[in-house]
Amino acid sequence: MSDLVLSARGLARTYHLDRVDVPVLKDCSLDVEDGEWVAILGASGSGKSTLLHLLGALDRPDAGTVHIGGMELSRASQRQLDRVRAGQVGFVFQFYHLLPELTVLENSMLPAHMPGGVGASEGRRRALDLLERFALGDRLGHRPRELSGGERQRTALARALVNAPRVLLADEPTGNLDATTGAAILDVLSDLHRDGLTMVTVTHDQTIASRADRVLELTGGRLQLDDEAAEGADSKAVVESRRP
Amino acid sequence: MYQLLLTNRYLASRLTPLLAVAAVALCVALVIVVVSVMSGFLNMVQSSGRTLMGDVIISYPVRGIPYYDDLVERLEANEIVAAATPAIETWGLLRMPYPEGDAKESVKVQVWGIEPEGFAQVTSYLESLQWTKPPKEVIRHLLLDVIDSNANTLIAALDGPTRAALLQHTAPDSVAGMSADEIETLAVQLDNPAWDVRLRIVALEGVDAFRSTVNDAVWEAVVEVDPRLGPGTPTLEAGATLMRDGREGIVTGLHVSDANRRGSEGQTVIARDGYWWLPRFDVTLTTLPIDARGGILEPESISLPVANEYAAGVYLIDQTRVFVPIDLVQDITHLDEARLVDPDDPTTVIGTHPARATMVLVRGQDGVHPTQLRGVVDRIYDEFASAHGASFTPPPQRGLSPGLGIRTWEEQNASFIAPVQKERQLMQTLFSIIYVVCGALIVAIFWAIVYEKTRDIGILRSIGAPRSGIVMIFLLYGLVVSVLGSVAGVGLGWFVTTNVGSIHDGLSDPPLWPAWLLIGAGVALLAGGIITGRRRRMLPLLLGSYAMVACIAVAVGVILLRESGGMTIWDPSVYYFDEVPDQVDWREAITTAIGAVIASVIAASIPAARAADIDPVRALRYE
Ligand SMILES: Nc1ncnc2c1ncn2[C@@H]1O[C@H](COP(=O)(O)OP(=O)(O)O)[C@@H](O)[C@H]1O
Ligand SMILES: [Mg+2]
Repeated sequence: MSDLVLSARGLARTYHLDRVDVPVLKDCSLDVEDGEWVAILGASGSGKSTLLHLLGALDRPDAGTVHIGGMELSRASQRQLDRVRAGQVGFVFQFYHLLPELTVLENSMLPAHMPGGVGASEGRRRALDLLERFALGDRLGHRPRELSGGERQRTALARALVNAPRVLLADEPTGNLDATTGAAILDVLSDLHRDGLTMVTVTHDQTIASRADRVLELTGGRLQLDDEAAEGADSKAVVESRRP
Repeated sequence: MYQLLLTNRYLASRLTPLLAVAAVALCVALVIVVVSVMSGFLNMVQSSGRTLMGDVIISYPVRGIPYYDDLVERLEANEIVAAATPAIETWGLLRMPYPEGDAKESVKVQVWGIEPEGFAQVTSYLESLQWTKPPKEVIRHLLLDVIDSNANTLIAALDGPTRAALLQHTAPDSVAGMSADEIETLAVQLDNPAWDVRLRIVALEGVDAFRSTVNDAVWEAVVEVDPRLGPGTPTLEAGATLMRDGREGIVTGLHVSDANRRGSEGQTVIARDGYWWLPRFDVTLTTLPIDARGGILEPESISLPVANEYAAGVYLIDQTRVFVPIDLVQDITHLDEARLVDPDDPTTVIGTHPARATMVLVRGQDGVHPTQLRGVVDRIYDEFASAHGASFTPPPQRGLSPGLGIRTWEEQNASFIAPVQKERQLMQTLFSIIYVVCGALIVAIFWAIVYEKTRDIGILRSIGAPRSGIVMIFLLYGLVVSVLGSVAGVGLGWFVTTNVGSIHDGLSDPPLWPAWLLIGAGVALLAGGIITGRRRRMLPLLLGSYAMVACIAVAVGVILLRESGGMTIWDPSVYYFDEVPDQVDWREAITTAIGAVIASVIAASIPAARAADIDPVRALRYE
């Protein structure tokens, strides 16, 4: 229990549209151990992003609790939640979400300036390291629009990691990339995982799931162990057979 | 600080914030120009109250203050009084020398009888005198005047060679092929020489031609008749002494004479190429004296040579006031010294009415406040009044004679200054609405920016930016935009204000080059429009055609303005002064700039709060 990085219990989230209630998450529980890579599989619209936002303190659940590094988020103040987002978790999104006015280096350094971040000088050092590692060392002064999709996502990854978070939350990180570029991102993620990074990735793509330590499936607002995907060899064969 | 970085980048990469900067700049510049001109106007009104007036005025209209010489002496004995001088104010009609013919024009004038030396000590009379020497275009007319009035003297002074030269000059055909001696002989023997006509002809060619043709004796005779043609500054001295040609003269305000017009560079243009220069002529002053009971006595008329003209810079004064020696005014207003006779027996003199002055003007030493000076004058006046209290015609006493006033120049001009002060206050109040306009513009523009930046705000929140951090971005942004706008606005306001004179002159006599420039720009835009029109883009085409229409419309406007003889916004007869104030009121300018910054930052807090309220999850959900 002591090496649990992230722990969620009985998470529920319902969206209220005009007069209709849309219960997206009903009862989700999840434990992520230190250094573990958990993949959550789910069809589009199944609530994966919603779950990730709850885990990352970006949204509050209607019911249930989230613990990050021993802190209970529902009891935390707004300021504490801000600090959790800055220092404890790193987000990577499908659409990169970089600030268009800032350069690669500035984008990846940005979280270091936030309260709870590592600060400007340390942030700069770390950002330069990460960008070098992600083969963006010669792109530091470029704006996002001058980058390819893969480069943008690697910049976003550097930004997510600049404050050395406890856990990386990735929302369909390859969802907007072609297969080759996506595979390259996956290689980077695997690499980070080998170095001990704790990760939760959500996807509807079996390929990602196959690299994870553990795969959960989100269906009907609940998380359950995915038997099929657990046998990595099988799923890999499925994916590879799909390729031309 | 990441807010600073973002603010900086937002500013550099977008057109909308520049729009906000421009909006703030225009608002600030507008207020600065309006308030500066108003303040300048007020300053001019206030300082003009002082020109030709002194610091404190003792006045007792109509009946006048007797023994004023003693009062002046007592006043000048005090150490905070720099000088004091008596004056008489009355109204009169001035018959002008123009137009040609018998029916001359008359203007109503305010007549001030003064002792010129003393008056110059108390006021800036000497500095206000317009003519040091006759202007260039006038000299020829003065010369012709001398020839007309003193032809015989001049002819008597002609020597042989000058006669020969005149003959050669005016009738070259008749002396063709003759030697110098022969011409001289012919000139001396001429039947009907008409030397005066020949002198005139040469004079018409100009003073230099005349001077080089005639002998020294003739020129000396000319200068003797009119010393203003000679060396020195007799014109100025005539004004300073109110004497011309040994006669007591009059000095009139520059705008009393219709012949003086303001030229496009602010210089004085005299009608008919200098012909109607008033100091060439005599004018006739007519007054209606009023007796002690308020009845009107026989009108008094007096012909006076115009010694000079003055310009106080206040249209109202320059248009109506004339200065003449005080004794003359005392005469015609019956305020002079008079014997007092026994009503029953007109042959018995029972006393004398001393001469009187309706005003005594006092100037304090430098640095003495007029109010302090007035206190001293009050006291001295009381002593003076009681010293003469037992005389046959005692001076009016304070508190007992309602007509008597001892006022500072500000109090004296209160009816003149107060409305301007009120107007300026009103302007300031009305224009504080500019802060609201400024704020509203900032709210609208920033609201749009927040909308545009919704996703970025979501991103910032997702990486840990607190709400306060988001608010700070937009407050900082508002601060930077408004500071830039204010600085630009102050610069623009300064530029317009200090150049308001040239802008005004440009409007009243618009040059043609801007019209051509604008038409050129319009044609360029048209060409550009045709080229870009092929790409079928709506917005550039629309903006281009609007700009083109605007350019050509303004160009046509400029041409029409020229055709119609320009536009005079600052009509001196409406605004008292003949110059537009062009000094920036820096206190007001700084206040306005700071006010605009404060208003903008307060306004920016509204979209900033909206930005802080953006739900990051929604903001991030879609691309
Ligand atoms: N703000 C919202 N209001 C209403 N419905 C929402 C909102 N956000 C998401 N949903 C709905 O919730 C469901 C789950 O969304 P999401 O978590 O984005 O799914 P996934 O990421 O698995 O595609 C979808 O049906 C979506 O339409
Ligand atoms: Mg999703």
